[in-house]
Amino acid sequence: MLANRPLRVLALVTDGFSGHGGIAEYSRSFLGSLAACDGIAEVIVLPRLNATPLDPLPFGVGQLPAVKGRIRYSLAALRTAIRRRIDVVFCGHLYMVPLAAALAKLVRAPLWVQVHGIEAWEELSVLHRRSIESAALITSVSRYTRRRLLAWVGVEPARIKVLPATVAPQFKPGPKPEYLIERHALHRKKVLMSVSRLASTEPYKGNDRVIRALPSVLTRYPDTLYLVVGEGDDRPRLEALAGELGLTEKVRFVGLVSSEELPDYFRVADAFVMPSTGEGFGIVFLEAMACGIPVIGGNKDGSLDPLADGVLGFAVDPENNEELVSAICSALRSARPEASRSQRFNIQFFTEHLKALRAHGLPSTNRCKREK
Amino acid sequence: MCGIAGIYAYHYAANEVDRTELRQIRDHMAQRGPDGLGEWYSSDDRVGFGHRRLTIIDLSERAAQPMVSADGKLVLTFNGEIYNYRELRASLEARGRTFRSESDTEVLLQLYAEKGVAMVHELRGMFAFALWDADKAGLLLVRDPYGIKPLYYADDGWTLRFASQVKALLNGGKISRNPEPAGWVGFCLFGSVPEPFTTFQEIRAVPAGSTIWVDRVGPHEVKQYFSIAEAYSRAEAASAPACDQEMQLRVHEALLDSVRHHLVADVPVGAFLSSGVDSGALVGLMRDAGQRDIQTVTLAFEEFRGKPEDEAPLAAEIAARYDTRHATRVVTKEEFRTDLPKILDSMDQPTIDGLNTWFVSKAAHELGLKVAISGLGGDELFGGYPSFRDIPLCVRAMAFPARIPLLGELARRLLTQVGKSSDVINPKAAGLLKYGGDYPGAYLLRRGLLMPWELEDVLGKDTIRLGLRRLKPIRHIEALLTPRPSTRFGKVAVLESALYMRNQLLRDTDWASMAHSLEVRVPLVDVELLRRLAPTLTQRKWISKSVLANSPRLPLPTAIIERPKTGFVTPIHKWLQTDARLQHWRQVPAFAVPKCAWARRWAYEVAAA
Repeated sequence: MLANRPLRVLALVTDGFSGHGGIAEYSRSFLGSLAACDGIAEVIVLPRLNATPLDPLPFGVGQLPAVKGRIRYSLAALRTAIRRRIDVVFCGHLYMVPLAAALAKLVRAPLWVQVHGIEAWEELSVLHRRSIESAALITSVSRYTRRRLLAWVGVEPARIKVLPATVAPQFKPGPKPEYLIERHALHRKKVLMSVSRLASTEPYKGNDRVIRALPSVLTRYPDTLYLVVGEGDDRPRLEALAGELGLTEKVRFVGLVSSEELPDYFRVADAFVMPSTGEGFGIVFLEAMACGIPVIGGNKDGSLDPLADGVLGFAVDPENNEELVSAICSALRSARPEASRSQRFNIQFFTEHLKALRAHGLPSTNRCKREK
Repeated sequence: MCGIAGIYAYHYAANEVDRTELRQIRDHMAQRGPDGLGEWYSSDDRVGFGHRRLTIIDLSERAAQPMVSADGKLVLTFNGEIYNYRELRASLEARGRTFRSESDTEVLLQLYAEKGVAMVHELRGMFAFALWDADKAGLLLVRDPYGIKPLYYADDGWTLRFASQVKALLNGGKISRNPEPAGWVGFCLFGSVPEPFTTFQEIRAVPAGSTIWVDRVGPHEVKQYFSIAEAYSRAEAASAPACDQEMQLRVHEALLDSVRHHLVADVPVGAFLSSGVDSGALVGLMRDAGQRDIQTVTLAFEEFRGKPEDEAPLAAEIAARYDTRHATRVVTKEEFRTDLPKILDSMDQPTIDGLNTWFVSKAAHELGLKVAISGLGGDELFGGYPSFRDIPLCVRAMAFPARIPLLGELARRLLTQVGKSSDVINPKAAGLLKYGGDYPGAYLLRRGLLMPWELEDVLGKDTIRLGLRRLKPIRHIEALLTPRPSTRFGKVAVLESALYMRNQLLRDTDWASMAHSLEVRVPLVDVELLRRLAPTLTQRKWISKSVLANSPRLPLPTAIIERPKTGFVTPIHKWLQTDARLQHWRQVPAFAVPKCAWARRWAYEVAAA
């Protein structure tokens, strides 16, 4: 007789419960919530990098040691899928989708694919496409990424659902912290800030656009300062740009900021601005919002989701300097908005939605699978 | 007959329904429903329905929409007619349900309350509706079996929007306008956009005979509740009358029953009249059904005066025979020139047809009609198209050579090359070996506007690649022909009904008539009629339009029956030569050759608009 037991999920992810950055954070919320679903026995995480978990793992999640190298990783995944009698394969990054699809086919388990941002925007190889098309359920972090994916894969649109990022509890409102005002000499200044990697491979973030907007902003708010949080090889170019425009005093490159201090950096600012054109979602918008400051983002990518099409923040055409200037000025003029705006994306909603998606898109027990 | 619209912010992250947006979507369809407008919002503002009304059944305010059930738990916005609503109502009343209005709308609400989604199997009519079920916290989208009434939806992953027209959805301003390659490729291959695709990636049609359930996770997969292929396949196994007399009687009864049901209205019902059998027989049957005062209208073109294409003289003869109030409406080139921008604007999706319906609907509207009967569907039902002969012939002739591997593709390439240097070879001839050996391919050859290898004349490389990959034309046709009827007649009838009639004739009739606030009813496109006639039609060795012509108690004149089929033509081929706004086609070498079919040129103009 077939056992009617809860499902075991094998999650193939890049970072698992160890890495930094938007995708790693998203995966953690995702896997933790998945393990909490009814009918899920265990989520077994197989990361490619960074094996030591930062925090204790959520209940129902087990993380295997990271395996480097494509072949060794594939073998480890195969071994786990067979030995642990896996019922569902979850693929956390399109890079691994051919492996995930092959495993799913081999053990006759449904495949759940998660897509984030740029990796899903342009057409990939036939193998990748077919692998994605074999998925029982695809979740996308934003409406924009979903749309871009739908442009090139042959999947019924109803099979691609949106599961937005959430915001961690340490991001909450508070007074401007004195120690940061002191550290960066921000007394009586209007502070604009952005947070991102400054990578020359990711010039779309739009720090340069903010710098170019500054002269016009300064005519109306001469005490404005722009804090650029983050580090990377694009920094010299941005510094040079600020220099050319005579803004060396007005643009402060802060460098890397610890995750403990990051919420305070949001709180010390009067507005968060990132007119990016390459966001899968842009979790930083949520973090800034949760800390109680107005946010400004682009309207050409996944940023529209945290900004809720302009309802929760300013959504501007990132290439349009005038629009950007006027949004920055409006944000600097406005009173601090309610931090509860970001509650729309809280973890409870996320978990409930994930449970509903699981119930909708996957079999409720392993029995369905065996009977197919 | 109306226009419906709605927004459902199903995702927890979605913004509440934007009332301005909903009104913009709804009011873009003002012509569909000039008599009234309404809107409804759920108390949490997550759901909003809009409605534009053309009053036909129960003209009172009690029948206004969106309609909320007495207990407040069900809300409906509905476009169409339920022809058996009186029977349904009687049986609901017998089960103790009480009604507040005389409308078919309320019958839908109560029927759903009684039976849930299974209600769809009991409906006879043309309909597209959306129903909000507060208890289940879900939205049901439904479209009639043949797809007479349109229903489009756009799901962005957070919010689902729906409306009777693609252009209305776009008018709300929040839906992506990214093009859908499969829609464009489909238009170039078929001359109309094959559902469920539209020319926009984010907008899709609710397929004919299907329902979609939408809840907090968004739309579930489409559920089909009626398939034309299945109806024909089943009919082939049912018993059919043996002798001619019995057959004629059965056809008469079935047709009269359909016509009678299609006359249900609280306003006068008129009729389009051509010189063909279909519309003539229907007018005769309207008489038989007891309608005394019938307004008929015929379209005539100045260019055709005194020529065989002129429908007016024979139509007048039919009108006289059935003693109708008859009007002949002459359309001139000048009028076409004046109307052209409005036509292109009203055309919801690109199509190569619909001009005739535009003008005849305009004429009917001028005569004060709100409802008109049309003979649409007669050729599909009674095998009136040449394709009923040509396609089986082609398949039989090509079945063997088509089985030789690669021969078809080789011949196709060779002939395409030769064809490029001369205009003697019809572009379709090149595909004969490749496609002619089976029904789906033969259908594409017979009905196709352009062949897949001609697409590069008009579309970009990526559009063709992505579009063909997604549409898979032959498999698309194959799927509609599944389960495949065993008879030749059955197969062609399914293809014509599920492709040409659904995507071309019915769509064109909808936008062109609604632009004049006219409801067109099609008694020959009716599931009950099909159920009753299909056994006879598929199993008889020989069937012809004369069965239809002889159905009225006073049959059609023999001159009409014996007249060779012309189709409903317009002088568009001439206008394409002279109208300065319609000269884009000259830029495409393949369309500039003198022998090029006018439809290809017109398609290019439509796409360029």
